[in-house]
Amino acid sequence: MKLLLDIVQAVLLVALAPLVRGIVSRIKARIQNRQGASVWRPYSELRKLFAKEDLVPPTASFVFRLSPVLLFAVTVAAAAFIPVLHASALLGTMGDFILLAYLLAFGRFFLMLGAMDGGGAFGGMGASREALVSTLAEAPLLLALTAVAVVARIATLAGIVQWTLQQDFFRLSAVHALAVAALALVAIAETGRIPVDNPTTHLELTMIHESMVLEHSGPSLALIEWASAIKLNVMIALLIALFAPWGMATAFTAAGLAIAIAVYALKVAALAVVLAVVESSVAKLRMYMVPDFLGVACALSILAVVFTAVMR
Amino acid sequence: MGLVDIAAAKTLASSAVFIFITLLLLASAKRTRTCIVLFSMQGAVVTAQILATAYVHRSAEAYAIAFLVLVIKVLAIPYLLLRIVDRLNMPREVKASTTSAQSVFITAALILLSFLVVQPYVRAFNIDEDMLAAAIALVLTGCFLMVSRKKALMQVIGLLVLENGVFLAALTSTFGMPLVIEIGIFFDLLMGVFLMGLFVFRIRDTFDHLDVSKLRRLRG
Repeated sequence: MKLLLDIVQAVLLVALAPLVRGIVSRIKARIQNRQGASVWRPYSELRKLFAKEDLVPPTASFVFRLSPVLLFAVTVAAAAFIPVLHASALLGTMGDFILLAYLLAFGRFFLMLGAMDGGGAFGGMGASREALVSTLAEAPLLLALTAVAVVARIATLAGIVQWTLQQDFFRLSAVHALAVAALALVAIAETGRIPVDNPTTHLELTMIHESMVLEHSGPSLALIEWASAIKLNVMIALLIALFAPWGMATAFTAAGLAIAIAVYALKVAALAVVLAVVESSVAKLRMYMVPDFLGVACALSILAVVFTAVMR
Repeated sequence: MGLVDIAAAKTLASSAVFIFITLLLLASAKRTRTCIVLFSMQGAVVTAQILATAYVHRSAEAYAIAFLVLVIKVLAIPYLLLRIVDRLNMPREVKASTTSAQSVFITAALILLSFLVVQPYVRAFNIDEDMLAAAIALVLTGCFLMVSRKKALMQVIGLLVLENGVFLAALTSTFGMPLVIEIGIFFDLLMGVFLMGLFVFRIRDTFDHLDVSKLRRLRG
């Protein structure tokens, strides 16, 4: 029963990722007074792309073909680490939060290799920008996760969630407040949302993620897009699991599971609204301001780690 | 244990965290308006802290002080400052001499420093460590905001943050000063903001900017 639920929640994270993306863009459209596309549109786009031919540039090597598949595979593996409906995950016993962070980094590394292998001018430019952003985002991501893990005195995500579930809902700890602020900033940078990157732009001066995928087409592009949707979903699920897991099922009853699903859906909806409001109200940063943005995240996460020693 | 008891206990336990958050946000804020709103929110946290103290210690005076803080620091002063910003019609940035990441780093260091310096007092007098550290951090960050921001209005906000810290230190260590003195301090504060508002207008009219780092020559 536990194994079944573990599989179900990993599959949900992967399968519902395009829906979350669609919901965010729909809310964004509504805030900006537009009608907006259907929330199911990312699915039809994926279906369209999977049906198309995969065009490979004549100069590209096997890395170009390999990179979307690897990216998708490690992102799905990362999704299997996150507890969603109960305080346990499919790969929860296999590795800790460090493995999760570097699985995401591994996928990004291959995405950058593929972008440079494509031979286009934009691929290299986007890859270099992505390298800058991800290098700067890595330290705050790891430090914030470390701070939370130190407070919980366990390194696996499932263990941290289990510990948090037993805590008093109202007892606000400084470490968690700082870590959630740092992780939220990192999540924005990692998933390429405004103000670090614009997921809808095709303007050559500003795009990061979009310029890396320019040379990809057909099923490869579909895998990359799906993987980046999963990554957004994983980040949302990670924030919820680490900082507001209350409502997760503790026993395997139908009522408990129904409540867990409903509460989780509510939390995701709330975060989607927050994301849409931020994306509609904040201007995209200049590329040179991004280090400053992530520097704030870094300062917050360092303070979080130090506070684990100072406070209690 | 009633609901109010729980709320008071939670406020006393967690308001230090909220004050640290407002401080870090103040350090990273780039616009004067944001800083004023953050100062108002900081005032709200202090008000909640006083109310909780008043409830726990059953002190009628503290309720009056909480009311004064609410009216003056949360509503009146931010409203005045926002109106000054509106009327000044100058660029919105605070013109920091450090980037926001550096400011947050420095504020974080100041918060840690304040935890270090309060240790002997906490041990000697049995005071709440987090709240006293928050008060010291408010004083230090207020000073930091005053020296690192070039826009004249930010000096006012820095001073107000500093005053919040002095007030909070008095509240945590001695349960506040007598009501008459508090009223006097609040009156001074309000007058101070009025005067500094006038002063800011004079700086703008004379120099066409609000950059205090350019005010270097004395005229006798």
